[in-house]
Amino acid sequence: DRERCRPHRAMHGPNAGSGPRGLRFLGQDEAQAIDQELFTEYKFSVDQLMELAGLSCATAIAKAYPPSSFTTSQPAVLVVCGPGNNGGDGLVCARHLKMFGYQPTVYYPKRPNKPLFEGLTTQCQKMDIPFLPEFPAEAALIDELYGLVVDAIFGFSFKGAVREPFGSILSTLERITVPIASIDIPSGWDVEKGKADGLQPDMLISLTAPKKAAMHFAGRYHFLGGRFVPAALQEKYTLNLPPYPETDCVLQLT
Amino acid sequence: IPVSSRQAFPLPSLPRKQPTVLVVCGPAQNGAIGLVCARHLRIFDYEPTIFYPKRSPDPLYRDFTTQCEKMDIPFLSYLPTEVQLINDAYNAVVDAVLGAEAEAAEGREPCAAILATLKHVRIPIVSLDVPSGWDVEAGSSGGISPDVLVSLSAPKQCARRFLGRQHFVAGRFLPYDVQKKFELNPPKYPGTECVVAL
Repeated sequence: DRERCRPHRAMHGPNAGSGPRGLRFLGQDEAQAIDQELFTEYKFSVDQLMELAGLSCATAIAKAYPPSSFTTSQPAVLVVCGPGNNGGDGLVCARHLKMFGYQPTVYYPKRPNKPLFEGLTTQCQKMDIPFLPEFPAEAALIDELYGLVVDAIFGFSFKGAVREPFGSILSTLERITVPIASIDIPSGWDVEKGKADGLQPDMLISLTAPKKAAMHFAGRYHFLGGRFVPAALQEKYTLNLPPYPETDCVLQLT
Repeated sequence: IPVSSRQAFPLPSLPRKQPTVLVVCGPAQNGAIGLVCARHLRIFDYEPTIFYPKRSPDPLYRDFTTQCEKMDIPFLSYLPTEVQLINDAYNAVVDAVLGAEAEAAEGREPCAAILATLKHVRIPIVSLDVPSGWDVEAGSSGGISPDVLVSLSAPKQCARRFLGRQHFVAGRFLPYDVQKKFELNPPKYPGTECVVAL
């Protein structure tokens, strides 16, 4: 029978995902293959899945960091959006955070020229979510102004070197003391191997299924989001996802 | 819709052994929302079956159909006119036939025949936005009587005539300035919920 809302123990560490019943941690190629299959075989649109992903992120954040838990006078959140789909997830997340009573601010330096991202940007702007003209110069300033930072810079497609301005942004984020919630992959990390001297987020929201990098995640909160994977696809890739509670769109793994 | 269906009809409470739900989808937007609902019901471990006799040519709605098919949600080729068959097979019916925009459609086939059948089912009906066949403002006399109404964005005037058990609003996505402009005065949504019971 269905389990009620309680965290499931994820299997982190060297034995993670090795047994037939264990939650699987995906490699980069697998993650890309699943994504492709959702679009080409199942005919999901990017919009649909991005909306569900962003909503999961906002919901997970609301569970781990409720507005009442902020020490800043308002529940101010800085959402840093990268140049691709992870950034799009961040824009959706910012919009839902606003509806959940937070005060998000977005920093979105590299915006793709596509209707999807232009639309998401407009939706945020029309909801009075400010877009910063420049990134806060110092880590201390971020600590003062915001109670949480959402890292929506790079996702599971990330490979190779970090291009500016994101290198400098990540350097600053590595020095802040307020918690960071990373969407899908802590930005700057290798999608499979992680990055020992990189960003150390307090929360990770893995979308669809966790990637191998998540095995190196050492923060307090690991959530699963993106509750849209059809059963047949879960079986095909033996994802072994634990059941989500009731109609929740997130599952707390740790 | 699926979240409020689940709140109104939690899985352990269903009378039939299998959590079967019939989702009846009309030819326009209301029907398309029904398709999305069916997919989420499947994710929530219900067993939806869809009746979608007149399929929209809209590519977005065609993709919704594909998503349902690929998730092994069966599509009925006809709706039994023998109401007892529906009462026996399903726990509830989701009425996604006609929404607020429908005027002429209700008198035309296949909607007219569907509504004639739905009027006589004895299992609960969950109507999406407007009980199908009702006038958006005046309501209905002699039309279908849903058990649950899920108003989208904001309740329509006909919702005043709703006599069923539960009325939900799903409108959390509305920006604040739209709410103000139309003086919607929405209720407060609990926590991160996307629906609220009125």
